[in-house]
Amino acid sequence: MKVLVIEDEPALQTAIRQYLEQQGYICETAPDFPQAMAKVNDYDYDCIVADIGLPKGNGLDIIKELKALESEAGIIIISAKDSLEDKLSGLDLGADDYLTKPFHLSELNARINAILRRKHFDGNTNIHFNEIRIAPGSKSVFVKDTPLTLTSKEYQLLLYFIANQRRVVTKTALAGHLWGDAYDQAGSYDFIYSHIKNLRRKLLEAGGEDYIKTIYGTGYRWSDQ
Amino acid sequence: MKLLTQTTIYFLLLVLPLLTISTFYLFSQFNKEIGHEIDEELLNDQIQWLRYMDTVSIHSPVFQLSTPEFSLQPVTQPAQAKPVLESVMLYQDIEGKKTPYRQLTQVLSIHNNSYLLTIRKSLIERDDLIKNIFIVMLIVFGGLLVFILLLNRMLSKRLWRPFYQSLEKLHGIELKKMESVSFSPSSIKEFNQLHTALTAMITRIHADYQSIKELTEDAAHEMQTPLAIAESKLELLLQDETLSDAQLQAIAQSSEALERLARLNHSLLLLAKIENHQYDTSQPESLQHVTRKYLGLLDELIKDKKLTLETQLIHNTSWQMPAALADMLISNLVGNAIRYNYTGGKIKLQLDDQQFSISNTSSWPAIPEQQLFQRFKKGGAVLDSSNGLGLAIVKKICDTYNLPIHYYFENGVHTFTISRFSTNSKPSFAA
Repeated sequence: MKVLVIEDEPALQTAIRQYLEQQGYICETAPDFPQAMAKVNDYDYDCIVADIGLPKGNGLDIIKELKALESEAGIIIISAKDSLEDKLSGLDLGADDYLTKPFHLSELNARINAILRRKHFDGNTNIHFNEIRIAPGSKSVFVKDTPLTLTSKEYQLLLYFIANQRRVVTKTALAGHLWGDAYDQAGSYDFIYSHIKNLRRKLLEAGGEDYIKTIYGTGYRWSDQ
Repeated sequence: MKLLTQTTIYFLLLVLPLLTISTFYLFSQFNKEIGHEIDEELLNDQIQWLRYMDTVSIHSPVFQLSTPEFSLQPVTQPAQAKPVLESVMLYQDIEGKKTPYRQLTQVLSIHNNSYLLTIRKSLIERDDLIKNIFIVMLIVFGGLLVFILLLNRMLSKRLWRPFYQSLEKLHGIELKKMESVSFSPSSIKEFNQLHTALTAMITRIHADYQSIKELTEDAAHEMQTPLAIAESKLELLLQDETLSDAQLQAIAQSSEALERLARLNHSLLLLAKIENHQYDTSQPESLQHVTRKYLGLLDELIKDKKLTLETQLIHNTSWQMPAALADMLISNLVGNAIRYNYTGGKIKLQLDDQQFSISNTSSWPAIPEQQLFQRFKKGGAVLDSSNGLGLAIVKKICDTYNLPIHYYFENGVHTFTISRFSTNSKPSFAA
C-alpha cells in the first residue's frame, strides 16, 4: 500500500512516515504544494494524507486536482485549523476524512486503514490476525470460526488494536478514538479498562490467545510476540 | 427622551416666558398710553370750560351744574393754581355698582368766588379696550406659538431624517457584514461629516475584527503544529521496545500533559472566537438533538459511574443555536454533571422549549458565586482533565445568546438552569 504524506513540518512529516512504515506501508512525502502536485500527477497512491496549510498553495487544491485526475486514492485532510468551514469544504471536495492537529499517529493509522479497506475491498475482505477473523461488511468477528458477540465499542477497539498491531497505544488515543471529543468530559480513562477487560475475556472464552498486553500506566499493546 | 421632544421642550421653555413678558409689557404700555390720553382729554376739557366760564355771567345755570361727568360747586377754599388728577370709584345707578373714573379737580376763582371744578371720564371703555387688546394678543401669540412648534417639529423631522436613517443602519450592523455598510449622502454638511467619520470607524473596526480573527486562527495553527510534532514524536518513542516501564510511563504522562495543553489551547481559542463572534452560524442545531447526542456519547461514562439518569426531554426542536456552540454548551454541562458526581449518584435533566435544566449530586460543596463562571477556577478540583474553562465557555455562550443562566445548590445537588427567553425585557432607549 502506497501512502503520500503532504506535510510542511519536517519533524511531523518524519514521525508520520516512520509510524506508517512500521505498520508496513510504503510512504512518500512532499513538503510543499508544487512537489505534492507533481507527485500526485506522476504516481498512483492508495492514500493521501494532506495538510491544508501548505507553503505555496492550499491543500484543498490538491484534492481538486486528485478528483480531476479521477484518482481512486483515499484522502485524509490533516489541519491545525479546527474550523468547521475547512472541514466541510474539504469533505465536500471529496476528502474521505478530516483530522485536527494534534492527533495520535495510531488514530491516523486506523483511519487510513479504514479508508483503504472501504476503497479497495469494498469493505468485504476479511481481516485476519492469527486465529481471529473479522468480516467488516457484516461487522462480525470469529475466533477459529466461533462467532463472537461484541458490543460496538469492543468491535471498534478490536479493529483499532489490529490496525495498530504490535504498537503501544495510549489510553488517551483509545479514548479519543472511541468517544471523540466527548471523552474530554470523562475526568478519567478508567472506563476504557472495562471495555478492554470484556474484549479480552470474550476472545479468551472463544479459544483465542491473549494478545492485549497492558503497559502499566501507559496503555496497551496488541501483540502476538 | 427623543431629540424632537427635547428641542420642543427647550423651545417652549424659551418662548413661553418671552411671550408672557412681551404680553405684559404691551399691556402696561397700552394702559399707560391710554391713561395719558384720558388725562390729556381731561386737561383739554378743563381749558375749554375755563374759557367758557370766563365768558358767561355769574347767574348762568352752569354754576349749579352737577353731573357725574361735570360739576361746579362753590367752596370756601382758596383757588388752586394747578388741577389735581386722580382715579376714583363712583357708584353708578345704571350699572348698579361702583365703576372706575378718572377725575380732574381744581378750585377756581370765578368772579371772585371760589368754585370746585370736577371733570370726570369713565374708565369702563378703557378697561374694555385693554381687555380686548389683551385677548387679541393672547390669540395672536398662542397661534404663533402653535405654528412655530409645528414648524419646528416638521423642520426637525425633515432635517434629522438622514440622521435617523443612519441610526437605523447602525442598529442593523453585523460584524461580519460590516464592510458593506454605506450611508446615503445628505445635503447637510454635518451629517456628511458624521457619515465620513462613521465609515472610517466601521472600516477600522472591520479591519481590526479581521486581523483578530486571523490572529486567533494563526495562533491556533502556530500552537497546534508544535504540539502535534511533540505528541507524534512521543508516540514514536513509545514504540521503542528497549524502554523500561518507568520510561514508557514518563513518556505517556508527557503525552497526556501535551494533550491537556492542546485542549486548553483549543478552549481558549474557542472562548476568543465566541467573544469575537467568529463562530460559524450556518448550521443551526436544536438543543434537543444535541442533548440526546451527548447523552448517547457519554452513556458509557454514566454507566461506568453507576449514575441514575432521569431525563425529561419534551420533543421540541425549535430551540436552536449554531452546532459548534450547542455542542460546547451541552457537552460541558452534561460532562460536568458526570465528572463531579460520585459513584451511584444522580443526574436529572430537563429540557422543554423554555428551559434547559441539569442537576447532579456531588460531594463537592457549592461553587462560590464569585468564582462560578471564572476562568481557571476549579473550586479546588484537581481532576486531570479539567481545564477550568468549561463553565466560562458555557457562560460566554449564554451571554452571546442573551440566555440567563442560574446556578443553585441545595442538599448536595448542583443545578444549572438556562432560560430560553430573558426575563427582563430588552433595554429600552426611549425616555
